[in-house]
Amino acid sequence: MGQIILGVGDYGASNSPGDDVKTFALGSCVSVIFLDPKTRTVGMAHVALPDSSINKAKATDKPGYFADTAIPALLTQMTKFGCDKRGKGMVVKLCGGANVMDTNDTFQIGKRNALAIKKILWSYGMGAVAEDLGKNYSRTVSISVSAGQIMLSSPGKPNWQL
Amino acid sequence: MVQQISQEELQKIVKSVPMLSPSASQLLQITAQADHDLVDVVKLVRNDANLTARVLKIINSAAFGLANTITSIDRAISYLGERIIVGIAVGDSAGKLFEKELSGYESADGDLWKHDLRTAIAAREVVTQSGVDISSELAFTAGLLHDIGKSLISDYLQGSVTDAIEMITTEEGLDYLDAEEKMVGFDHTQAGYELAKAWQLPEELAEVILHHHEPANAKEEYRTLAYAVHLGDNIAMLGGFGTGSDSMRYKLDQNYTDYIKIGPKTLATIMLNVDIEFEKLEGSLKSSGEEN
Repeated sequence: MGQIILGVGDYGASNSPGDDVKTFALGSCVSVIFLDPKTRTVGMAHVALPDSSINKAKATDKPGYFADTAIPALLTQMTKFGCDKRGKGMVVKLCGGANVMDTNDTFQIGKRNALAIKKILWSYGMGAVAEDLGKNYSRTVSISVSAGQIMLSSPGKPNWQL
Repeated sequence: MVQQISQEELQKIVKSVPMLSPSASQLLQITAQADHDLVDVVKLVRNDANLTARVLKIINSAAFGLANTITSIDRAISYLGERIIVGIAVGDSAGKLFEKELSGYESADGDLWKHDLRTAIAAREVVTQSGVDISSELAFTAGLLHDIGKSLISDYLQGSVTDAIEMITTEEGLDYLDAEEKMVGFDHTQAGYELAKAWQLPEELAEVILHHHEPANAKEEYRTLAYAVHLGDNIAMLGGFGTGSDSMRYKLDQNYTDYIKIGPKTLATIMLNVDIEFEKLEGSLKSSGEEN
């Protein structure tokens, strides 16, 4: 029974039924979640920015930080649990990508993150079956590996499931 | 239990907050002056044995990864930069206020300090990356202090979170400042401004504390600084470092473009630099504070 806590730019996966995979307080960051029904593996990346071209060194050090490097890194990680290297058969869910109130185009970093992630997913022939994106509040995400259940929470709101 | 605060009570709360240490107070005064010199900062730190020891300990901590131990305070200060010295002095002197659990915002202890430090780093980055002609070091200091009012009103906001969020989501045009004012009679910027006056902070810092959510209302000469902190605050919240229930529930003043120019790519660079710098500073500043 363990908790795998992922910080900004981290990614990880587990197939131990007692584990929870968790990330705290997503703002404009997006959590990419892969559920593999065949191997009962759960994977998550906490993506901060859309494009690694702004800092290649950071992308090498922390591939989970950028949309374009996070998804390949997470897929590779999940092959260690017997998952398909191109994500075949996986269920994809996305959450986070929030904005502040009255935002303008420049500050819609959450939206740009989500869009970049979707583009990369398409290139693998993958697409999200469920998403909870945008709005203007922070989200904490917890996934139980045994049930594949994704719970979201935010201060002042009742918890909800994705 | 949500409680209205009278003007009189607010003054009492402000008076119950310990004064800043003389060193912290003087550092804020000196560094707010446009024509000050780093020598003045060095002189001040030298006269405070505790602060000197603290600065030397931090510069030689693992976070800065220096090959050789620095034993000279002059070198330590010029390496760290005056903003870090101000950060250490303010953190040591008013640590309790910053580390306090903001239960009125359902925020854990330490969250406010992290949010303030992120805002400080982001405000400085906004200034340096946009090239706007104001002091980046002062933007850091103003960012560090911008939310001190939350510590003052948090206890009175206990139990208000669900109602506050309900109010903002159902009534068009309201943000968390309006919710705070309706719940307890003051918002955190007004409470912070009262503390700024009691602490006799320099006017530019007091103005930023009061207007960081509505920078257009700041005095013309401090307006760019107020916008820098406004953006820094929003960047900190977007980065996942708010103070609980109010995170991202404030309006972005889009007129910032009249004062500070940043595009999406620069914003991404700023956000990345904030993460990198925060990782370095948080560990080293915290390890010093915990011993106090």
